[in-house]
Amino acid sequence: MATSTLCNQVAEKWQRSFAKLNREKEGITGLLEFTRAWLTASDQLRPRDKSGLAVKPPYDKTKLRECFEIIRSCNLHAVFLDDYLDAVGRHLPAITSDIEFYMKMYEVHITYPLPTFASWLRLIQREPKVEHIAMLINIAARWQRAWAPLPEMGASAISAFTCTFQTHLYSILPPSFTEGFRDLIAATFDFKSIESAPDWLPLRFPCTPGVPRPDFTLWIVMQELGLIERYETLILSVCYERIEKHISETCGKVWDRQVLQEMRDWMSREVVTWLTMPYARDARSAEHAAMLMKGVGSRLDYHVCKTLADLRTLEIFDIIIDYPDSRPALDDLKECLQRVDQRSQLVQSLRKANRRRLLHPGADTKLILTQYVSIIRCLRIIDPQGVLLFKVADPIRRYLRDRPDTIRCIVASLVGDGESGESGDSLVDENEPIQPINQTQLEDYTDPNWEPEPIDAGPGNDIISTLISIYDSQELFVKELQILLAQRLLAIKDGNFDRERRNIEILKIRFGEAALQVCEVMLRDMTDSKRMDQHIQQQTASDLHPTVISRHFWPPLQTNTFTMSGQFRKIQEDYANEFHVFKPDKKLVWMSHLGSINLEVELDDRTVEAEVPPLEAALIELFSEQDEWTVADLIVNVGSIERSNAVKALTTWVELGVLKEDSPDHYRLLKTAEEASTRATARQPAVAVEELPPVVTVQQQQAEQMRVFWMYIEGMLKNLGQLPLDRIQQMLKFAPNYDRNIDQLAAFMEAARREGLVTVTNGLWKLQSK
Amino acid sequence: MEQISPTATARGSSKSTATGSSLEAAGSVTKRLSQELMNLMLTSPPGISAFPKSEANLFEWAGTIEGATGTIYSGLTFKISITFPPNYPYVAPTIKFDTPCYHPNVDIVGGAICLDILQDKWSAVYSVQTILLSLQSLLGEPNNASPLNPDAANLWDKPDEYKTQLMKHYRPISDDA
Repeated sequence: MATSTLCNQVAEKWQRSFAKLNREKEGITGLLEFTRAWLTASDQLRPRDKSGLAVKPPYDKTKLRECFEIIRSCNLHAVFLDDYLDAVGRHLPAITSDIEFYMKMYEVHITYPLPTFASWLRLIQREPKVEHIAMLINIAARWQRAWAPLPEMGASAISAFTCTFQTHLYSILPPSFTEGFRDLIAATFDFKSIESAPDWLPLRFPCTPGVPRPDFTLWIVMQELGLIERYETLILSVCYERIEKHISETCGKVWDRQVLQEMRDWMSREVVTWLTMPYARDARSAEHAAMLMKGVGSRLDYHVCKTLADLRTLEIFDIIIDYPDSRPALDDLKECLQRVDQRSQLVQSLRKANRRRLLHPGADTKLILTQYVSIIRCLRIIDPQGVLLFKVADPIRRYLRDRPDTIRCIVASLVGDGESGESGDSLVDENEPIQPINQTQLEDYTDPNWEPEPIDAGPGNDIISTLISIYDSQELFVKELQILLAQRLLAIKDGNFDRERRNIEILKIRFGEAALQVCEVMLRDMTDSKRMDQHIQQQTASDLHPTVISRHFWPPLQTNTFTMSGQFRKIQEDYANEFHVFKPDKKLVWMSHLGSINLEVELDDRTVEAEVPPLEAALIELFSEQDEWTVADLIVNVGSIERSNAVKALTTWVELGVLKEDSPDHYRLLKTAEEASTRATARQPAVAVEELPPVVTVQQQQAEQMRVFWMYIEGMLKNLGQLPLDRIQQMLKFAPNYDRNIDQLAAFMEAARREGLVTVTNGLWKLQSK
Repeated sequence: MEQISPTATARGSSKSTATGSSLEAAGSVTKRLSQELMNLMLTSPPGISAFPKSEANLFEWAGTIEGATGTIYSGLTFKISITFPPNYPYVAPTIKFDTPCYHPNVDIVGGAICLDILQDKWSAVYSVQTILLSLQSLLGEPNNASPLNPDAANLWDKPDEYKTQLMKHYRPISDDA
């Protein structure tokens, strides 16, 4: 039963298939016709081995089309296509052997044992090898063309074939192909004209005349094989490498002109023209090409900016050193940074460079300040909002804060100290408008163009304010300024204070009137002294021209006052009396160690003229009483002076040939010149140069303050037993002007511990019992 | 109140004891005490010292007195407490010994001191420093006429026995003070 049903079913199916193939033709003619058509078509399409690579057997188009028509009318064209693709797969070993051959040719060039240096050199020049890759591409394309289905089969058949073929092709390409392909792509950069192209190129990939580049056909073939799409990233990476190489070769250390535009021009000239090959071969016009290239072009432009930004980021420290000559490089960098977001890298790089090259003990404070100012200026060009600066400046500022002479350096440059002012290397830009410090600009919210400051932005001030803001208060500056001013005023001999007055006026604008009131008093003391001196000179002419200063307004002057001797003291006393008449409520206290004296020493055979500090004068005066002195006796006679100072003063006279050190510590007046010393006296008039007047520096003042605080600490530890550090810190508020923080106190206590003054156990400090 | 000058206020408060002291007066007392502290710290006379007990209160001080050399108290160190009244310096501070002190004019239990300048002879020109110096000299030269500690007054003329008694009561200063 079942068998008969099955038979019926099979018979029915058979009948249906037959009817389908026979297409209701008479007898089996339809079937025969179909069989013929199938055989003809498949014979025509059959993938052939090498023998059939060059030419396809000629065929009759109309006949073939009829065959396809018959197959299609039987609804069997899909089966036919599958059959055909299977055949392609079966014949692939033919391609595989070709590819293996060319890859071997290519690889031989890499791995072939090279006996001589010359052939090693050839290895470096990878030029010859790419030919094999090109050949490989050529042959693969020829296989593809040879096996491609006829156009009569329709577009879907062609795309199905291409897909199958290329899948097979890629699967048999060895990994080293990628490397070779990259080399080939890189090599095509130089195929700009027929002359620069290698011999094999026109041979293997002949071009029709009029194509823009000789490698035109090569690219078409690559496109045919789908290589361009498949290796797009590789092609771009070749471009990138090209750009990187070019930029690092041509732009490194070139800071005196802007190179970004140059690089962009180069890119559109060299790289973009080349890129039209893979991307815009079929462009009908320049605009069309531009449109096709738009995406890739902007990627390349980005890469140019990025590469240049990377380069400049690496060089940033030296660029800043070269500022302002390196200004164009900074403008470049600014433009690049607007395109690529590399700001954090720049900050990192600069901070690292600063740490390594600037903030170490070997660098001079002035140098650090100069570089810091340059950094400020440079980063302001790159980033006017000051975000970068804020991030970079912090370590520098912290470092500068710890340097003891930073304030001094800043103040010196503020007033345009001689050495820096005249060499034109001042930190202060003359052209920069002077602004009051700490004047926070209120934001104008009615301004329609108002933009909020970046969240990480620091205060944007002028350079001097920035320098001064390194410290928490301006007080320190004003103090240092007073000391500097005192030194400079006391050093002035010609009575011309215009320069100092000008400086003070400038600084007043910065610090405000109140802060510089003391300086004002100091200046007035100087002019008052001059006037007062004129008055007294009218009463009784005197050789003495003192400067009368108001002790309260001047920084403490070092007091190693000694008494002048002989006629000098007489002159002083006479003057003081005259002064007392002029100002009855005031009394002069002489600072004998300051100033200078012009004197002539009359000896038996000669007169020595010299301008010397007072101590020298006081000592030589004593030699008019007796000819020989010991140092100790001299010191007794002039009062409290250090031995070293006395010896120094005496040496001045020895050098002038007036005194002679007969035996150690024993000096004798040379009434008549000695042979050896006459030459010395010939150098007239001799001037013994005194260093700057000894004003107590801020450090010394601070040391003095610390001594006071120590007394308080001692007092509290004595009476309260042992105390923790924070208690000490709090208790110290009883001490006048106590302004240290707890870290400073800790350092101080630690120092005291090393001195053996205190001990510490479990964080409790106590006095070392005696 | 506005018409009265600060000095007048201070004087007024001194007469009307502590009740009339205004904030202004308290400020000037603080200033005076700070000044005295500074003088004491900067001159640091040998053997005497004092310092506020806490940073919050300038009116409670702890002091140290070392017995002067050549006296029976030589080598001994005594802790004292000083409490300043709100109308200081018009009223004398209260002082007592924290270290038990065997002395004719010192209460051995409570540490109270009988010294004329701390009572009726007090004057606003005295300072912590003068008080401490007076106490230091009091140790060596007691006023046996008005003793707080009659035993000590009686023993004063017998240095050996006196010293024994003194050392019996004396407690050296420890860190936990």
